[in-house]
Amino acid sequence: ASVSGFLSLLSFTILFLAWLAGFSSRLFAVIRFESIIHEFDPWFNYRSTHHLSTNGFYEFLNWFDERAWYPLGRIVGGTVYPGLMVTAGLIHYILNLLHVTVHIRDVCVFLAPVFSGLTAVSTFLLTRELWNQGAGLLAACFIAIVPGYISRSVAGSFDNEGIAIFALQFTYYLWVKSVKTGSVFWTIGCCLSYFYMVSAWGGYVFIINLIPLHVFVLLLMQRFSRRLYIAYSTFYIVGLVLSMQIPFVGFQPIRTSEHMAAAGVFALLQAYAFLQYLKDRLTRQEFQTLFFLGVSLAAGVVFLTLTKPSLPPLLRYAKIHIPIIASVSEHQPTTWVSFFFDLHILVCTFPAGLWFCIKNINDERVFVALYAISAVYFAGVMVRLMLTLTPVVCMLSAIAFSSVFEHYLGDDMKRENPIKQHPFYPVKNSSVYSKLIVTMLMLMLLMMFAVHCTWVTSNAYSSPSVVLASYNHDGSRNILDDFREAYYWLRQNTDEHARVMSWWDYGYQIAGMANRTTLVDNNTWNNSHIALVGKAMSSNESAAYEIMKSLDVDYVLIIFGGVIGYSGDDINKFLWMVRIAEGEHPKDIRESDYFTPQGEFRVDKAGSPTLLNCLMYKMSYYRFGEMQLDFRTPPGFDRTRNAEIGNKDIRLKHLEEAFTSEHWLVRIYRVKKQENRQALDHKLRNIAAKQKYTSKKVLPSRFH
Amino acid sequence: MWRAGAVSLALIACFFRASLCAEGLVNEDVKRTLDLSSHLAKITAEIQLANHGASRVNGFTLALEAELAPHLAFIGASVKGEEEEDESLELKETTVHGQSGKFFEAQLPSSLAPGAKLRVKVETVFSHVLKPFPTHITQAERQLVVFQGNHYLYSPYPTRSQTTRVRLASKTVESYTKLGNPTKSDETVEYGPFKDVPPFSQDAMKIHYENNTPFLSISSITRTVEVSHWGNIAVEETIDLRHTGAYLKGPFSRYDYQRQSDSGISSVKSFKTILPASAQDVYYRDEIGNISTSHLQVLDDSVEVEIRPRFPLFGGWKTHYIVGYNLPSYEYLYNLGDQYALKLRLVDHVYDDQVIDQLTVKLILPEGARNIHMDTPYPITRSQDELHYTYLDTFGRPVLVATKNNLVEQHIQDVVVHYTFNKILMLQEPLLVVGAFYILFFTVIIYVRLDFSITKDPAAEVRMKVASITEQVLTLVNKRLGLYRHMDEVVNRYKQTRDTGALNSGRKTLEAEHRTLSNDISALQARLKSEGSDLAEKVGEIQKLDNQLKDLVCRSCQEAERLVAGKVKKDTYIDSDKTLSGKRQELVSRIDSLLDAL
Repeated sequence: ASVSGFLSLLSFTILFLAWLAGFSSRLFAVIRFESIIHEFDPWFNYRSTHHLSTNGFYEFLNWFDERAWYPLGRIVGGTVYPGLMVTAGLIHYILNLLHVTVHIRDVCVFLAPVFSGLTAVSTFLLTRELWNQGAGLLAACFIAIVPGYISRSVAGSFDNEGIAIFALQFTYYLWVKSVKTGSVFWTIGCCLSYFYMVSAWGGYVFIINLIPLHVFVLLLMQRFSRRLYIAYSTFYIVGLVLSMQIPFVGFQPIRTSEHMAAAGVFALLQAYAFLQYLKDRLTRQEFQTLFFLGVSLAAGVVFLTLTKPSLPPLLRYAKIHIPIIASVSEHQPTTWVSFFFDLHILVCTFPAGLWFCIKNINDERVFVALYAISAVYFAGVMVRLMLTLTPVVCMLSAIAFSSVFEHYLGDDMKRENPIKQHPFYPVKNSSVYSKLIVTMLMLMLLMMFAVHCTWVTSNAYSSPSVVLASYNHDGSRNILDDFREAYYWLRQNTDEHARVMSWWDYGYQIAGMANRTTLVDNNTWNNSHIALVGKAMSSNESAAYEIMKSLDVDYVLIIFGGVIGYSGDDINKFLWMVRIAEGEHPKDIRESDYFTPQGEFRVDKAGSPTLLNCLMYKMSYYRFGEMQLDFRTPPGFDRTRNAEIGNKDIRLKHLEEAFTSEHWLVRIYRVKKQENRQALDHKLRNIAAKQKYTSKKVLPSRFH
Repeated sequence: MWRAGAVSLALIACFFRASLCAEGLVNEDVKRTLDLSSHLAKITAEIQLANHGASRVNGFTLALEAELAPHLAFIGASVKGEEEEDESLELKETTVHGQSGKFFEAQLPSSLAPGAKLRVKVETVFSHVLKPFPTHITQAERQLVVFQGNHYLYSPYPTRSQTTRVRLASKTVESYTKLGNPTKSDETVEYGPFKDVPPFSQDAMKIHYENNTPFLSISSITRTVEVSHWGNIAVEETIDLRHTGAYLKGPFSRYDYQRQSDSGISSVKSFKTILPASAQDVYYRDEIGNISTSHLQVLDDSVEVEIRPRFPLFGGWKTHYIVGYNLPSYEYLYNLGDQYALKLRLVDHVYDDQVIDQLTVKLILPEGARNIHMDTPYPITRSQDELHYTYLDTFGRPVLVATKNNLVEQHIQDVVVHYTFNKILMLQEPLLVVGAFYILFFTVIIYVRLDFSITKDPAAEVRMKVASITEQVLTLVNKRLGLYRHMDEVVNRYKQTRDTGALNSGRKTLEAEHRTLSNDISALQARLKSEGSDLAEKVGEIQKLDNQLKDLVCRSCQEAERLVAGKVKKDTYIDSDKTLSGKRQELVSRIDSLLDAL
């Protein structure tokens, strides 16, 4: 009894430490900078959480945001996965109920690190179900610090993925548990967890395809059991009903092809169970097997045809809005380097773990094998989906490491007891040295893994994008706070209902930090609206003015990195704007116009005249031609593109500079209101005044 | 009857006049200084008062023009003593019949005898009286402002002689009124002396000049002070700042601003806030996070924060920020038993020549503070007290809320708050934490120790029973193996001492204990069997092996006896002993493996 007590104490301590390590290694950005939302996209999540916590849940569900997508607006409640906001809002509510006066901002900042601890715990539970306690603890430690997961869950990145990975792992744990026990209790738990996942992230589609796949493969492997039948039937029905409660998901689960696999497998399972039932009563064995084969083959064909095009839903999404999706770097295919960068040694050891699982196969190990194979495929398709691969890699690597340790450490431990008990009967221990070497090697690998994780987290995933930092020769730090400078200027010194036009990347930030109306934002649901903004940016000034007038634009905001050499600025993104605009307005905008005859994109004198006179170019380089940055370069030298700009004499007719941040990173232009109508050329009329009219109207009484 | 009434009426009227206007007072000599070098109008008048009346005078009246009166931020009067010792006078607002403006009654410390003279210094500060003209300027232009005032001292008493000196912010003056041929040199304009000015005389003075000093004003400030008896006072100021100078017209060009030093000369880039010397953990932030452009300098007698708003403030631009810091409470909190007194500044320095349009002070006292009494240095509007809940609060902390409009630097004075606080309440919060953890652990203990399942699980119960039985079997078997080891020692000793008695007794105890142990194990085996566990067979196997083992032990014992008796040679004994021990080892390892299986 005392041994098991110590074991549970030890597991508890290890899990707690894993939680702590995971939490603290995500705090680099907060400690180096401050406790704010550091990334661009999460500003929307923060803003809506703020809305939720100030106005209440129902107000949030019915929220029509008139500050986005002017003049269309956005029904926020129906177009978001509310899980993240509701979680943060709930935590904030409970804390405030207990008089722990934490600001909602801090709840949002630290939500992802806290949930990483929960992810570690659920990974522990899942791995324990799959293998054993030791492997579970190792997996929890891995997932706590692995960069592939940290990249999406550092403090200050308030993104859906931060809580979704926990929900994913926990749903899988409960699924495995319910397949193992066949108990409705566990399955209902699984459904609730699945509901949470649906409310949190669009990646729930992964679950609703993987679980049916598991069931299907189990059927093919002749591993049908009553437990499986109970688990899947309950899961499918309850999960379906629950998932349809999320407004954004709505009727998709019974309409779209992504969800059809689940329905098909459900039908198949019912048919299979029915046949099993018949089998006990009928004796015509051959006929039955034939029948079974026919049905399962048909169902399999249905399953494959339905799921094949829909398995990567994000890819399908990508096909619709090609230029917009392709313009985002995280939607690119993953390189081998980033596999190693994000997973380090785990990427090498996880096939071993997979092999161990397949070698000693059982129901739940079939699941983890399928999980691994599908996740590897997705991660190869898109960098962003590296996230779904990470947990399974952690689990399987933990299984591999655990088996090795069990083999090389565990046996010794067992033999030690008898040696102590019977000192009269010595035992030969010839392989001790080889065991020692293997163990040391493994421990060294783990140590290097931990060092790598910390290094990657510190250097690659903890530099905020809201604040830029540069380091002087003496190591002191310069903070370039231009984004917030400009956004705060907008917030304080423009009309409350001013409409700001900018490229969609900055939409959420402008809404969140500047609290002003935007035309387009990171929720890129309306391609033609984005194309219109792109068209305005890539047209000449007077054409752009017409567009801006029609869209009631008051201010235009652009990002310009030419002074400090910031490469993510609007000129570098400009070709995407042109392409997107061309997609909708092929008559007015042609990408080829913006290239030199040699097919180059240049901003200097050799650049195409269309480029040199378009609005984006003019706004970026307005008065930049006078500016000499240092004595070795001519005035108007763009540090980002290393070129002297081609058009130095820029005059703006319809716009005027309203604000430029200290390092010129953000430039805001005011769209001039139309002056009184221009006087037409006319001759003075000569009318012979014959009669003088005097008004006989009396003033209304209120003026008396 | 009517005579008496008339007399009393006349008496009352006389008294009234005497008390209000102090009949007979004359301003002998007045030196006015109008300091217009900042964005405030600071008007100081040094007045020599003389009592030309017949009776002693206890007080006098100060008057302000109706045009300036609404902008009054501060007024103070002091008597110039003989030894450079100023004594400030208490002022009370009054009205004067038939005259417009604002009037204050000053009480003299000692009444002024007829014919006596007194030097009085009156200091007034007006905010928002310098109007930018033109009201909108471009970035390259300089800021011009207009001041409209009075050439004379506005006073209920006749003035014999007076001079007015105006200090400006720059040499550039567009225009100024030319009453009595004023002299202008550099940054000052001097009017007067004017002789024999009647009471309540006004003559419009208008000066239009360049003033590029920062026209900053705090449109609202909320100062929150949270007192903790654990040694900390947290101060937080939420400030809305606005540039009230001429509005910026047209574009703001960063290029010009960076390259030309006089571009945007009237704009505000940064200013200094002076915090108390013991201020710690200073933060400077706004809704979207920390404002990284600030510097902190710790001086001997203060902490200076160089506050740089995120962007330079041009005319009409505003910003909003929060400054907060912690103070050690021993410097500001005094107590005598349960009586506490908190003494700290009601409003603190934000920038030089500050103007606060609206101040809200919130003093959060510890939970359980009672009999709260607030002593303010000047009248301030108290609002309804509130309750504030923060960490570990149960019934809320009392919050004193007070507001006041139009404050300037002269208002930086101490407020004293008295309250009683029962020290035993200090223990409330730690006890709360202890209690919460106690309940938590207790629930965990109860949950782990007690069985809450609503159905009995017979299989699990059997498993637990079997586990406990096997545990017992394990200890018994190990004990039995220990007996053999003990026997070995006995045999070894026998081999050296050749003491047959000891050997026999050892063998007897072995036999006896072995029997009891074996019996116990058999009993447990029977119980296992009755529980239907297949472990019973394994235990039976162990028993069998043990019998063999015991035989071997007995045989080794006999061999030893034979050796001692000389019945066998030493070589043969060693050989047989080796085979025996080999067999025994084998048996023991088999038993061990069986035990492991259990």
